[in-house]
Amino acid sequence: MAERMQSCNLSEHNFEQCTKCSICTTVCPVAAVTTDYPGPKQAGPDGERYRLKDPAYYDKALKLCLNCKRCEVACPSGVHIADIIQHARMRATLGKKASLRDTMLANTDLLGTMANLVAPVANATLGLSPTKLVMDSVMAIDKHRTFPAYSRQKFTTWYKRHAAKEQDAYRNHVSYFHGCYVNYNFPKLGQDLVKIMNAVGYGVHLLDKEQCCGVALIANGLYKQAKRQAHTNIDNIRKAVNTDHRTVIATSSSCTFNMRDEYPSMLGIDNADVRDNINLATRFIYNLVDEEKIKLVFKQDYKRRIAYHTACHMQRMGWQLFSIELLRMIPGLDLQVLEQECCGISGTYGFKKENYERSQAIGAALFKSIEEAQVEAVATDCETCKWQIEMSTSLPVENPISVLADALDVEATRQANGIK
Amino acid sequence: MKTSEIYKKEYDVIIVGGGATGAGTARDCALRGLKVLLVERNDYSTGATGRNHGLMHSGARYAVTDGESASECISENMILRRIARHCVEETDGLFITLPEDDLEYQKTFVEACQRAGIRADIIDPEEARRIEPAVNHDLIGAVRVPDAAIDPFRLTVANLLDARMHGAETLNYHEVEGVIINQNRVEGLKLFNKLNGEHVEVRARVVVNAAGIWGQRIAQMAGVNISMFPARGALLIFGHRVNNMVINRCRKPANADILVPDDTVCVIGTTSDRIPIETVDDMRVTREEVDVLLKEGVKIAPSLATTRIIRAYAGVRPLVASDDDPSGRSISRGIVCLDHAKRDGLEGFITITGGKMMTYRLMGEIATNAVCAKLGNTAPCVTASQPLPGSEEDAPSQSDATKRYSFGQRAAIGRHGSLAARIEKDNDIDNALVCECEGVTVGEIKYAVHQLHVHNLVNLRRRTRVGMGTCQGKLCSCRAASLMGEFRNDVKGAQEDLAAFLDERWKGMRPVAWGDTLREAQLTAAIYEGLCGLDMAVNMEGKEDVQ
Amino acid sequence: MRMDTVIIGGGLSGLSCGIALAKRGKRVTIVASGQSTMLFNGGSMELLGHIDGKAVTNPLEAIATLPQSHPYSKIGADRIAELTERAKLMLTDSGINMVGNAAANHWRITPMGVAKPAWLTLSDHLRIDDLNSLPAKRLALMCIRGYFDQPNAMLAQGLRELGFEVDTIEFTTDDITALRRSPSEMRATSLSKHLMSNNALRRVADQINTLATDADMVLLPSVLGQNDDSDIQTLQSMTNKPLRLVATLPPAVAGMRMMKQLRHYFKMLGGNYLMGDSAVSGTFEGDRLVSISTAKLADMPLKADNFVLASGSFISRGLIADYERVYEPVLGVDVDADSNPDAWTSFGVLQPQAYSRYGVATDDQLHCLKQGKPVSNLYAIGSILSGHDAVKMGDGTGVSLMTALAVNDLIIKK
Repeated sequence: MAERMQSCNLSEHNFEQCTKCSICTTVCPVAAVTTDYPGPKQAGPDGERYRLKDPAYYDKALKLCLNCKRCEVACPSGVHIADIIQHARMRATLGKKASLRDTMLANTDLLGTMANLVAPVANATLGLSPTKLVMDSVMAIDKHRTFPAYSRQKFTTWYKRHAAKEQDAYRNHVSYFHGCYVNYNFPKLGQDLVKIMNAVGYGVHLLDKEQCCGVALIANGLYKQAKRQAHTNIDNIRKAVNTDHRTVIATSSSCTFNMRDEYPSMLGIDNADVRDNINLATRFIYNLVDEEKIKLVFKQDYKRRIAYHTACHMQRMGWQLFSIELLRMIPGLDLQVLEQECCGISGTYGFKKENYERSQAIGAALFKSIEEAQVEAVATDCETCKWQIEMSTSLPVENPISVLADALDVEATRQANGIK
Repeated sequence: MKTSEIYKKEYDVIIVGGGATGAGTARDCALRGLKVLLVERNDYSTGATGRNHGLMHSGARYAVTDGESASECISENMILRRIARHCVEETDGLFITLPEDDLEYQKTFVEACQRAGIRADIIDPEEARRIEPAVNHDLIGAVRVPDAAIDPFRLTVANLLDARMHGAETLNYHEVEGVIINQNRVEGLKLFNKLNGEHVEVRARVVVNAAGIWGQRIAQMAGVNISMFPARGALLIFGHRVNNMVINRCRKPANADILVPDDTVCVIGTTSDRIPIETVDDMRVTREEVDVLLKEGVKIAPSLATTRIIRAYAGVRPLVASDDDPSGRSISRGIVCLDHAKRDGLEGFITITGGKMMTYRLMGEIATNAVCAKLGNTAPCVTASQPLPGSEEDAPSQSDATKRYSFGQRAAIGRHGSLAARIEKDNDIDNALVCECEGVTVGEIKYAVHQLHVHNLVNLRRRTRVGMGTCQGKLCSCRAASLMGEFRNDVKGAQEDLAAFLDERWKGMRPVAWGDTLREAQLTAAIYEGLCGLDMAVNMEGKEDVQ
Repeated sequence: MRMDTVIIGGGLSGLSCGIALAKRGKRVTIVASGQSTMLFNGGSMELLGHIDGKAVTNPLEAIATLPQSHPYSKIGADRIAELTERAKLMLTDSGINMVGNAAANHWRITPMGVAKPAWLTLSDHLRIDDLNSLPAKRLALMCIRGYFDQPNAMLAQGLRELGFEVDTIEFTTDDITALRRSPSEMRATSLSKHLMSNNALRRVADQINTLATDADMVLLPSVLGQNDDSDIQTLQSMTNKPLRLVATLPPAVAGMRMMKQLRHYFKMLGGNYLMGDSAVSGTFEGDRLVSISTAKLADMPLKADNFVLASGSFISRGLIADYERVYEPVLGVDVDADSNPDAWTSFGVLQPQAYSRYGVATDDQLHCLKQGKPVSNLYAIGSILSGHDAVKMGDGTGVSLMTALAVNDLIIKK
């Protein structure tokens, strides 16, 4: 018998491993709130067999998939259900033009650049009722949505003015993929990261060039543009890793997941040589502590009660453990880990008028559990979860890095790590 | 019509055998205005009709060895594309030459095809890799021919439906126990009704023996001798399509040299072994057969080595023996029509055999011609031009269906063609899926049970594809069994039927029970035995295999 | 990353062991490659249901007669009574309310109306303690219109054979009708999501109160309460007859509920549950397993003092059968299985199948064996163990719970 005959099943996205057990259907947040979506089993492995027979079996309802990947996480057979669905969408929509609204939403950096220049105006305009009504009716962006406020100063501007110079002085170095959110909306998270890394003896550098990771472009079917940007990013990451010998860390779970896993699987970009060097900040820091390469010292009087929400893509990466364990190192922090539920926003999905109600219905269980948790704040690694939870509950949401920065006794930490 | 009334009627012709040939003969006879009864001992298409590749040969495979069969094939191939659209998928086929094969054969092959009138275009191996990426990329030659895929279950049912629309009666689960002969003339048959245990007689002026390999037994009952040549062939079904074109080896016919895309799956086959006539009812596939099929199959499409096999099955070719060739491959697939009046001095008895599933219509025409000659009927044969029910000119195509219908409705149009219009779809419950793998709705099951002669879940599977997906009926068989129990008002029967159905599915899974197919089996056991206790509710001992 | 114990597999056995250890203050991480087979559990635990096709009445007594190769015998038949008490307590602590007695099986009612012996059954599910003394005379079997994962007629027939009078009553509500608009997603688990609000439950209660007037007990398919039993209690408070649930075809709500409750409890105790990750390999030093690598933690292996293999049978891919052999894919530990594939299965689908007794080989302390030698800090528990047959003996859940607690004791004692 020939070598490896029937030793395993190899099929695209493992779709053949499906035993039709239907477990994926029990976790799908979309099917739970609408009967228009046929559910992950039907949209994924079941439908795929028919699409292989004839592409005409493609069902337009597949666009309702959030790509939250919860079906994949639940699947006991290792089937990449969401990837099957996304690829079917890709095949079906290739060559079709995305709407202006989708293009606008997907270009988080373009929108950010424009808004940044005129931040006060943009914030005011995007927040005004007449503007919202126009967006709602003309652009089909739901009127209930508040665009995240744009910062007056970009993170990169701050970095160049206030941080860049000192970074070379540190013993160790990392490159930071800040992403659109940190750059345009919330530079403080980037500043928090620089603060922590510097305190433990790491200089933080930017990539020579960084573009939006493209997670929203992929979700909105703008594959060509996503691919272009992905190439730019991987090229620059490659330089940081190979020439500068720096690991690239990010604070956004979605950017990290997208660059590590979706670049090869959705865009066909080979990142194998640098994939291990694209890391999430919490995981990177946890590992340094675990290997006793650095020490963290926390404020003695720090006391907070926080709930941790596992973002969908974080769970798909399987890295929530690192954020959770890192937060658990903070002695004064009472951490409650929430049940893993989708918040419903899924990047730009929830911004679309046609998805708004569904998006809120999906998140309802999570919002309820947050309100009942009796905590002061929620920690999560994903920025769009942050928007959604802040809009839908009474609680503020922070990235674990910001929580850590807040709890860190910077001076004591610098001393403990021998930094002057 | 009630079964008891059927027994009382006098027929012009009784056809024995509910495979494609019998069904095609019944249709032709009915269209020519004869009073027709067809009897089948099991379900329709349980013999060789339902146990082959589902390949609509272009004839190319026989071009070198049997030019006559090749010509018959290509002419029937073109006819079936017209009259049986909803049973046919026009895939085209490749005949590939691998490095281990002699490329010289390709020339011989193409010339033979041309002689038989089969389009055969030599294409560049690069082009072959492009149009069929699943093909072995090491190929050194390729010829494109008009092969296609055909669904034999649908084809048989469509013929039976049309026969019935033209006045024919059909009885499944009626086994022939004896032939009624009066003064060298066959006058009817003694039947055993397997559904209720009754022994009955039916009468006609002519009896056509279209019982395939079992035709030898029928002939024996009439006191005439036919020597059949049972050549057994085993096949494997893979969980999904790896190929979208038929792929053949361009060499002399041998083991496992055809891979056919059939509906949602693909099928590799066959082996060929001469077996004793007494063993034709034993369809168990052996480990050795699986070995041969895999070893040869991966040469055609290497990805088969890592693709899940969901079933193995075997069939017996009904060839008429003419010599001692142990492989059976050099024997003509040609059609044999015996008028036993001329051959054996027995009036009113005709045997139609040999041939292939895809020449069933021509076999029906030849047999009907022989019947008509005896009865003095002069009506012309119209089966080559008149579309089968489901394939009428205005039947919706798959791309029309995409725009308007749900998955289940679209899958049903794919299966039943224009007849899908008879499936109720006006409420949510009729649109609910029973079989999720294959998109079979409650409405489709109702239609099949009420209009397509369904007595059990195995019948239902042949009409609708319930339980033919990768899970082999794990989720849907319980749903389908409850619905059947409801329609037929027989709960205990439904449970036994469910157990028998799972058993029938398991028979095909067992020879390939490793990997995910074994996981599937364990999960099925956990659900139906562990969770449900089906093994305690029914007693399977001494039960015959359900057909 | 360093833990006290790392458990491979997050089903009933892995979680039970994890909970027991976490309760003793151990740092535990569970690696679960997806949801577990608990989603096929209809709401009962079985200790021992059948021996050679005969129903067992007193599992504790019957366990003493099992061969030495059975996991119960390895634990020690004399310890089972104590372990069953502790298992019951652990379930209660997790919020799972079950009723039953290890010394006397009761009968659970399957979706097809068959009475099967069980040790524990969820208190809100139908159970019969004594077939000669039924809990009700006349049952109203509420059948949900358009729901096909409950074979109602078979269930009704089975109940009648047990001696009940049964009225089958078809009903629906706006919520149910709305869900049926989906051709594929009307499952027990989705019904339970749509029947969570008080309003939705009120509409079900109205149907029961209107239609089930003649019965003295109301049966409903188990389509309520995927998080806990509060929805059923709410519905019970709205109806005037005792209400019981009956298991459906999977995915099963009862199993989902128990799974969620165990997982929640484990997390509350500080345990880490890595859902959707899978162990891929282990590093051994001498007779010890030092660390395991997982698909997602990649270059950061999980180190621990002790490891527990709870990765399940073939379904869960704890065992793999390929074309030629049966093996354990993560750590390559020894398995008990026939080397000839023809011996793995039997001809009839309902006959006992040899493969269902296959599993990893262990010594008497449930240490896994590698090339015949025990690995001193690696234990196997649950369905991956050889020598039992969940399908034919009804000992699956029992073996999971008993071996989980037994291994907990072995680890704590170290």
